[in-house]
Amino acid sequence: MLKVSLSIFLSTVFMASVAVAGSDPILERQELMEDTRDAAKVIGGMLKEEQPFDAAAAMAALETWKKTATQAGELFPEGSDSGHDTEAKATIWTDRDGFNAKLNEFSTQVDAAIAANPDSLEALNAAAGPVFKACKGCHEGYRVEKQD
Amino acid sequence: MKRLAIILGLAVMAAGSLLLVTRPTGLPADILPAHPADISNGERLFHAGGCASCHGSTDSGSEFPILGGGLAMDTPFGIFHVPNISPHGGSGIGGWSTLDFVNAMHLGVSPDGRHYYPAFPYTSYTRMGFEDLMDLKAYLDTLPASDRRNDAHELKFPWNIRAGIGLWKLLNLDAAAVVSVPPQDSVLIRGRYLVEGPGHCGECHTPRNWTGGLDYSRWLAGAPSPEGEGKVPNITPSEKGLAGWSQGDIEYYLASGFTPDFDTVGSSMVEVQKNMAMLPAEDRAAIAAYLKAIPPL
Repeated sequence: MLKVSLSIFLSTVFMASVAVAGSDPILERQELMEDTRDAAKVIGGMLKEEQPFDAAAAMAALETWKKTATQAGELFPEGSDSGHDTEAKATIWTDRDGFNAKLNEFSTQVDAAIAANPDSLEALNAAAGPVFKACKGCHEGYRVEKQD
Repeated sequence: MKRLAIILGLAVMAAGSLLLVTRPTGLPADILPAHPADISNGERLFHAGGCASCHGSTDSGSEFPILGGGLAMDTPFGIFHVPNISPHGGSGIGGWSTLDFVNAMHLGVSPDGRHYYPAFPYTSYTRMGFEDLMDLKAYLDTLPASDRRNDAHELKFPWNIRAGIGLWKLLNLDAAAVVSVPPQDSVLIRGRYLVEGPGHCGECHTPRNWTGGLDYSRWLAGAPSPEGEGKVPNITPSEKGLAGWSQGDIEYYLASGFTPDFDTVGSSMVEVQKNMAMLPAEDRAAIAAYLKAIPPL
């Protein structure tokens, strides 16, 4: 009986912690950024000619970026400016319009890249270039500088 | 008492003669070669040098860079106010001769015969060729003029004594190349020129000694940030530096602003990378080749 209640207790604790992790916008957006970066590595690897051009893999990476564009805006609620070593800069909340404009730019460029349906390395370069630029554009004003 | 007077007298004479020896003097007028200015080469050097990153007017939104200055650099020595180098006759350097410009870049000496503070990195620009300097001056002359007046630097004692810079130059101003490369390797020679000269990479990526000059034994091995917080990375090909970066990674980073791990460029390097992206690909390749060839530290 004790064993059963202990296991129920532990599983409850476990589920609760999963629920907390799942609902913490900082952890969620950090995971989303990791996925975004992994997708960038796929496309960047092709552009640097470290990997052969693969249209399907490139499109899958573009779709990952689309997910970022769709979800990122909601993952920076008021009050999520500290904890978990967040690199989100205070400007996100003091200049929300500017931040949203940068996100919109990213979204627009991702949509254009998907619509272009790149079928060659040159086409991928042309489609992904503006997206990479949009990544940087937002990091420049809205991400804290790492001090290492 | 008499001995003290003699010692003091000798000390004054020694200081006086040192100041005399190190007083600002320009180059002779006939030193410049006969050279028709190549404005597009001047523009290339302008990007390599990142002139606009410090001298660009903070309010400029124009198509061409407006070099009105105005940036305040808060350093341990005090506040430096970056001057106007636009071709404005009264406020900028529009009234300068080509020789005046060469003296500033090569020797850190102003047209009115004063030492410049080395916040202006002439310690690197001194390695630039006269013809390149002439081209750069010709390019600067094509840019829009700004009438913004310069502000005086606000430096602490003893750094507010300009004459002392002459002594500093005696120790720290040297046009010799830092790293030796095979004389037949034109790519490495170009890369060395860009990094050690116009690119002035060492000014931030190399630590400084107690005099404020670069510690050449730690060339490009990383340094505390001149802006006070954090560190400027080691960019030698060691495990602490760029060992894990291929030459292609460095080229791609300079062109795109993305590290091999696909993180984006940060800090002061954001502006530098934008300038590097304006260079022809062959220049970025030369820089990358040089950075892979220097001693790993």
